[in-house]
Amino acid sequence: MRLDDGETARAGRVVDARDLNLSRADAVAAIRRDATAVTVECPEPGPAHERVGDVHPEIGVSIRTALAAAARSRGHTAPQADRIAEIESELAELTVPTASTRPERAAVADRADDVERLDERVAELRGRVQALRERDAETDDVEADLAAAIQEFTAAKTDLIAARENHEAATEAARAARDARERRMELEDRLANRRRAARASLADGLTDEYREAVAVAPWETPTDPFQVGDVTAALAVARVADLRAPVVLSCDRFADPATAADWLDAAVLRL
Amino acid sequence: MLLVIAYSRAARQTLRNACEAHEETVVRRLGRAALFEETEFGAFLALRLRAEYGVDVQVERTAPLNEFETVPDGVREAARAYADREHASTPYAKFASGDEYPDPAAMKDREL
Repeated sequence: MRLDDGETARAGRVVDARDLNLSRADAVAAIRRDATAVTVECPEPGPAHERVGDVHPEIGVSIRTALAAAARSRGHTAPQADRIAEIESELAELTVPTASTRPERAAVADRADDVERLDERVAELRGRVQALRERDAETDDVEADLAAAIQEFTAAKTDLIAARENHEAATEAARAARDARERRMELEDRLANRRRAARASLADGLTDEYREAVAVAPWETPTDPFQVGDVTAALAVARVADLRAPVVLSCDRFADPATAADWLDAAVLRL
Repeated sequence: MLLVIAYSRAARQTLRNACEAHEETVVRRLGRAALFEETEFGAFLALRLRAEYGVDVQVERTAPLNEFETVPDGVREAARAYADREHASTPYAKFASGDEYPDPAAMKDREL
């Protein structure tokens, strides 16, 4: 690897950057090609780097998941791989129609409001005509208003019926569209199950090597390799993985960075 | 009651969480569906899911079926008679082949 922070450049399989003012985040981002506050020229990280390529005292590791990634980094494939690819392509081909009935629902409510408002207006005008007649007063103007209101009311009722019909049709279409959604969820569930099984089988394949790695660690480790601390677990997984890119190491488990690189069988950037 | 059905994994998870957090509003949980009380809060829970997941959440309003009010006599009688049939293996279409009980295809065409 070749590290360049703008002022200092260092190269080699092992780079000790403890004396440089280099943040872990910047170093990791540079290795993973996410950002370029500093430059680290190195091979592209493999699938395990994300899990155990940045080892620091607060690291959290799910051992089985990390072991599955380590197995992938070494080119292992799970027996479920073909079926997973099939389900993925089935999902990609699935078209799920969007069938929202929201505008139709809102339209029904709006038209119903119109009908109610006009119904009240007709009733009110009828009352006024009635009152004027009782007093033998002139009713022509109010009667004209009433006729217009009745006409509007009839039109609004027609609109409401049409809105209801639209809503029913849209609801039917939405029900049909849900068949595709149903199928999608079924496929996604199946995919999640297969992926879980694939991870388990990949992790199983490396369990013995991982156990061995924990046993030969040059520091005190528990007998059960699944009861170890997160730093030990990460380092042991890193040892069995093919990381390709340098491990960013910010913990004191090894005598010096070169020892770490030998034990991990990986390039090491010590921070 | 309000029937809420989830059609995506994310919607299903949120529905589960909502059911756990609001047991008093949940009448029944049915896998990826749930029945909520028909209260404003039940509607609030249902609409909150629909707002987040759109068409992936179906909301229906349920009502009890009073067959004496809604279902024609002939259909009710046929259901009762078919439940009491002599041979469990007789399909309804065959059971109804005389004139006594309504034809299944005809029933399918008639809305309640």
